[in-house]
Amino acid sequence: MRYSLADYFGFGVALEHFNLDYRVKLEIMQENYLAKWLNNELTEVELEEFKNSDEYATYQRIKEVSGRLEAPDFDTEQALMAVKNRQALKETKVVQLHPFKKFLKVAAAVAVLITGSYFYLNSLDEKVSTQYAESKEVVLPDNSKIVLNADSEIVYDKKNWDNERSIVLSGEAFFKVAKGKRFTVTTETGTVAVLGTQFNVEQRDGFFEVTCYEGLVSVVFNGKETRLPAGESLVAIDGVLTAIPSPETTTPSWISKESSFQSIPLRYVLSEFERQHNVTVSVKDIDVNQLYTGTFSNTDTELALKSISVPSRIKFKFEGNKVLFYAEDTP
Amino acid sequence: METKKQDNVCEESVFGTIFNTHSRTVFNYIYYKFGNEEKAHDAVQEAFVKLWENCGKVSPSKAKSFVYTVANNLYLNVIKAEKVRLKYADKTLKSTNESPEYIMEEKQFKEKLDHALNSLPDNQRTVFLLNRIDGKKYAEIAEMEGVTVKAIEKRMHLALKTLRGKIDGI
Repeated sequence: MRYSLADYFGFGVALEHFNLDYRVKLEIMQENYLAKWLNNELTEVELEEFKNSDEYATYQRIKEVSGRLEAPDFDTEQALMAVKNRQALKETKVVQLHPFKKFLKVAAAVAVLITGSYFYLNSLDEKVSTQYAESKEVVLPDNSKIVLNADSEIVYDKKNWDNERSIVLSGEAFFKVAKGKRFTVTTETGTVAVLGTQFNVEQRDGFFEVTCYEGLVSVVFNGKETRLPAGESLVAIDGVLTAIPSPETTTPSWISKESSFQSIPLRYVLSEFERQHNVTVSVKDIDVNQLYTGTFSNTDTELALKSISVPSRIKFKFEGNKVLFYAEDTP
Repeated sequence: METKKQDNVCEESVFGTIFNTHSRTVFNYIYYKFGNEEKAHDAVQEAFVKLWENCGKVSPSKAKSFVYTVANNLYLNVIKAEKVRLKYADKTLKSTNESPEYIMEEKQFKEKLDHALNSLPDNQRTVFLLNRIDGKKYAEIAEMEGVTVKAIEKRMHLALKTLRGKIDGI
């Protein structure tokens, strides 16, 4: 039966005699059949075939003997005690009630940030920036990827990249970080650090947003560290932190040429619209602080205008590259 | 306990339960990977101290993957200097009524297996032992390693294939 099957597949004749058996079996067996076998997931036919093979005996013994192995002793009780002791140590250390010291810390941090950014902006670092209605993809020396959204800029040191993975960002970008050393994104408002993951950072005047799509990122904002697990966002508007659940997607919406917002003040929505469509927006008699939830297209301007104006109950006038938004009841 | 919504990792009893359920696996996981008990102990410490520090933000259901991620990240940048020499105890060989020949043969096979295991790539050995010793399902291991179940099956398949090749001297 085996031979006829081999002939059926058309390679029986070409095969040398001794490995004929083996080849035929590969055709019959599903992918990763050894793993399936260990898990009792093989079909009867497959199991029969496998048992008939020369190597089955050794596999069976590996299964038996490895099933009797044991890991080294581990004292759960003692390990828990050790964790508790370390917590106690840490907790006593953390208490610091010296306000001046805190001020010094902030001052030092600010000084470091200013000198840091001064250094960065003045050295011969690699600089990539995008204009309005443009996005760009950058591949870093370690194959980490950055996608820049419109009107954004990143600066990094290409030569020293292997020693220090550090990016200065203004605007918005999506990061796919290759595993490796600490990867730091510094913005005017906060710092984001990770080891290897996917995340999006947006920093525009008064607005700071980080969304983690994979792994775990650490965000330092106003000197306070927050750990952000996959599927969560952190938004700060005018210095006030709010955590909002992010949509269940694997990349930010702007990667697929759309801009999404969830309870974001209209003024940020309008400035994003300006950036994506390269137009100038002016407003008349409308509350730009009202919250907007929705999505607009980054390619179709007419459609985008409707997506913004309809749910917000406002009207618009679109001429050339200027848009005026005005209240519904004004003439 | 799982059903109560207000369960919080900051509660000592909840933290204790999580520790008792997962610390041993975190220990074994790092041990299989690096063959170093000290590293494994440190990883347990680090992972659970971090969990405690973040207890307000990590829900009990997420605590499991949190500790594996921390333990994993801890050694992300560690270059493996030492050669892996794992020691495994064998449950059965301690007391048995089998013939001396059988015991001898069995002992030899186990030595070959130990040797083959030590020379496996880290990720294959980890998957193999988590399944064989800790009885972890492929799906659970996939969750720990942050990869698909299929990737785990592939590693398992390769692990078995390599072990058998080494043992049969191919």
